[in-house]
Amino acid sequence: MPKQPISPAVIRGQVIDSDLVEFGGRGGDISFLAPDPHKIIDRLPLGSPSKLDDLYRISFDEILDYLEELGRQLAFDRNEHMQEACELSYGTAPVTPPILRSLYQSMPAMFERERIRTWCETSVPIPYLEGWVETQANGFDVAVRAYGSRCLHVVAGNAPSIGAVSVMRGAVTRGDTIIKAPSNDPFTTGAIARTMCDFAPDHPITKHVSVAYWRGGDEEFESRLYQPHNIEKIVAWGGFASVKHVTKYIQPGLELISLDPKRSAAVVGADALESSQMLEEAAARIATDVGAVNQNACASCRLVYVMCGTDDDGIATLSKLGKLVYEKMMGLPPDLSTKPKSYDPSLKADVDALRLMDDWYEVIGGEDGEGAVIVSHTPEAVDFADALDDRTVNLIPVDTMDEILDAVDAYTQTVGVFPHELIGELRHKMSLHGAQRFVSLGYAFNGPGVIGPQDAIEPVRRMCKWIVVETPGEQSVPLWELQEGELALSP
Amino acid sequence: MASAQETGSPRTADAEVERNALGWIANPLEHFGMSNTAIHSLPREEVEATQLAAMQILLERRRAQIPVLAKLADAQEIHALHAIDDMAPLLFEHKVYKSYPISLLSKQRFDQLTQWLNRLTPYDLSAVDVSQCDSIDGWLGKLRDETPLDAATSSGTSGTMSFFPKTKGDYRLCYEGLRVQVLQKFGDAPTDADLNEKLHVMTPTYRDGHSSLGSIGPYCGEVFAKGDPDYLHIAFDYKHSADLAWLAARLNAAAAKGDVTKVDVPEALLARRGELERIRQESPALQSAFIRKMVKELNGERVLAIGVSPLFHEVASSGLAEGVSNVFGPGSRVLTGGGGKGVVLPDDWDETVKNFFGVDRLFNNYGMTEMTSLLIGCEHDHYHLPPWVVLFVLDPETGQPMPRTGSRTGRAAFFDISHDGTWGGLITGDKITAEWDTPCPCGRSSAYVEEQIVRFSELQGGDDKITCAATPAAQAEALDYLNAF
Repeated sequence: MPKQPISPAVIRGQVIDSDLVEFGGRGGDISFLAPDPHKIIDRLPLGSPSKLDDLYRISFDEILDYLEELGRQLAFDRNEHMQEACELSYGTAPVTPPILRSLYQSMPAMFERERIRTWCETSVPIPYLEGWVETQANGFDVAVRAYGSRCLHVVAGNAPSIGAVSVMRGAVTRGDTIIKAPSNDPFTTGAIARTMCDFAPDHPITKHVSVAYWRGGDEEFESRLYQPHNIEKIVAWGGFASVKHVTKYIQPGLELISLDPKRSAAVVGADALESSQMLEEAAARIATDVGAVNQNACASCRLVYVMCGTDDDGIATLSKLGKLVYEKMMGLPPDLSTKPKSYDPSLKADVDALRLMDDWYEVIGGEDGEGAVIVSHTPEAVDFADALDDRTVNLIPVDTMDEILDAVDAYTQTVGVFPHELIGELRHKMSLHGAQRFVSLGYAFNGPGVIGPQDAIEPVRRMCKWIVVETPGEQSVPLWELQEGELALSP
Repeated sequence: MASAQETGSPRTADAEVERNALGWIANPLEHFGMSNTAIHSLPREEVEATQLAAMQILLERRRAQIPVLAKLADAQEIHALHAIDDMAPLLFEHKVYKSYPISLLSKQRFDQLTQWLNRLTPYDLSAVDVSQCDSIDGWLGKLRDETPLDAATSSGTSGTMSFFPKTKGDYRLCYEGLRVQVLQKFGDAPTDADLNEKLHVMTPTYRDGHSSLGSIGPYCGEVFAKGDPDYLHIAFDYKHSADLAWLAARLNAAAAKGDVTKVDVPEALLARRGELERIRQESPALQSAFIRKMVKELNGERVLAIGVSPLFHEVASSGLAEGVSNVFGPGSRVLTGGGGKGVVLPDDWDETVKNFFGVDRLFNNYGMTEMTSLLIGCEHDHYHLPPWVVLFVLDPETGQPMPRTGSRTGRAAFFDISHDGTWGGLITGDKITAEWDTPCPCGRSSAYVEEQIVRFSELQGGDDKITCAATPAAQAEALDYLNAF
């Protein structure tokens, strides 16, 4: 029998690889070994919240020092844990090896000092993380501070960077971080945590990070761990099934921060169709947002609404754009996009059915599982729009701006827009309909990073406990000195 | 191919095979003398030789009649079949039957829908004037009145409705095939009663309708009750509305999108929302009351009962508790199936139903709207293939046909040689296990499908693979969860 890969647990600076039991192996997935969750469960919670105190004995700069060093340590060429995790993840990751390797290689850049400082400043300004921020309000002196919490992260496994994001968010908020590894990425976050144990085993940040795998929905395990005396917040990524496992434990004292599954769309304005040069550029931008990481992310574009009109000329232009998109997508560099690992057979059935209906649709490519461009001839998305994946995009002709609103609902994360100026026209109505992020088309994967808002919430602010200290001013009236009829409570 | 050398001169053998193939195409039941035993006793070689010949004839014939098939066959550059598996690239995805833009329905463009449907059927629909049609029921009724078609609708989770071109003859053949296979004892020749006796039909369904459900009443009335209205007992004396079914699907789809104002159906249909709600609320109690009433009226009669397991079980268990059992007369048949989703029946539910109705077994079948013939479950819960239904088990990943030997699990695809309303080749969304070689203890020589059948769409996701990209499965689950309250 071949040697099975191991996903060790890392708990507060200690690597645990004993009492291994087997997980996974269903539905064509690889199986792996991990420590029996029931044997380590008692070590996962922090116990007393006062144990968070060590994180308050270091400065924000020291936190940045640590993260910066972690970034250096994660350099792919020198880090054996990461190399091994990457190799093992070829079997579990939805993307192909060249893309996965490039995601691993770009991880150190996430830890750049100024990058972290900037996203903190735009989300929870650093003074609130460093100490008490004093202001005056309604005659009182008020001091506000953002405290860290004991936080459990149920992370998504479609991108290896998500565990790293969770570690960083825990560190800057001075929280205690427990990460539940997903079955589609059981190795990456553990490798990051092992790196931390290697270079700073006794550092408070290392001591406040734990990573383990248990089967999502293991009631015996989760009902013991998911208790307000163990954790205060659960950050749950991903689909309804994973969130549903969690919601039954939500109660006063245990808060859910839900990062719902999302999909993304694009809008191409009439100005972008004026010249063949613009058309080429629009195609390159669409191809990038569709093809990057093989369309496996929430930010991946799946529907493109094009203001070309629905008359014959409009459809002809759209068809031309579709062929260019296909061509550009096939030409993307292999560390950004490749032929998909496998092509969803159900999606292929959908695409092939449309191929026969050339009155209504044109299908470009897709015969070989390489990805496809579906050009609608009517102003509506294909009925399987929700299932578009594996580099399959649907271009939809529209006559009016209002029709584009159909593209957007509460599941919509990113809307890529070209020409960029069109954002001004679109963003208000689209925000009302549910869109959460507007970018220049082609930049869905090449932005400033998660600087604050994500999926229309501010997860880092939500991870904090916001504490206030109120000091009466000279004008404040003591209630105990009032007579009957003079009562004036402030809300 | 069957070896012609063994059976006589090649020419005579080929002519024989071709004659049989034409017989299967024209009316397989008549070809087999309306005999269940004859249907399921053919040697494998003969079955496959005839299947190949029939598919070859149909490929030539339909290619000239069905534009979508011509397009597919041209693209695949296939002109002749040399083996059964050569047909695999020419099977239609079941999704083809809903491959029209949704707006054609919401904008009531029945002219364009007719044009779309016309590309899928050998019958010429271009002369049908649908300009006055203002509902799906009206449109399909018009097609039924003026052409051989009786198209069948079905609606899925995405809110799209599929239209499958069946003919009235296809429906008749379906129910006649059912009669032959559930009334006749395998191994015996058909009796006069098997073929001609009037049976009471009891089904908690509708007077009419453009769907599998709606077809049970009228066609069972014709085939089992021999057209005698006093022998047809249905719960709802009206047509099962395709428009309301579509409205229900669109409402679900809109709710899943989180914006109930985006229900893109015509105003007149949206106004029927109250009617839909009322039907939804009243139906279970009315169906239950109907069965309770009918078992009293039909006490001791020979009955064909068709319904879903939970409903029959509910009536049967309360009946037994009141001391009522063996309500139907000898030779009655009870067909159950489906409806079990979300309802957990006790392990002995089938014993309860059998004791109450007074039958020694329950019949089950495997079929779908997009196929004419039903596969009837035998005494050993195997769904046997009638010889005119060619089964392909496709590799779920590659779509390639798996060898026609041993036991194979994969995606089910069929070629129904008897189907007349459209191309008979269909790729389903079902995961099945086929048994090619091990003979069934029931004595039928035909290959069969094991009882356990699931949809591939229900198998996706699973475990705790978490992704930040939204998938339809995640939303379907959300919908199920909401509907459970």
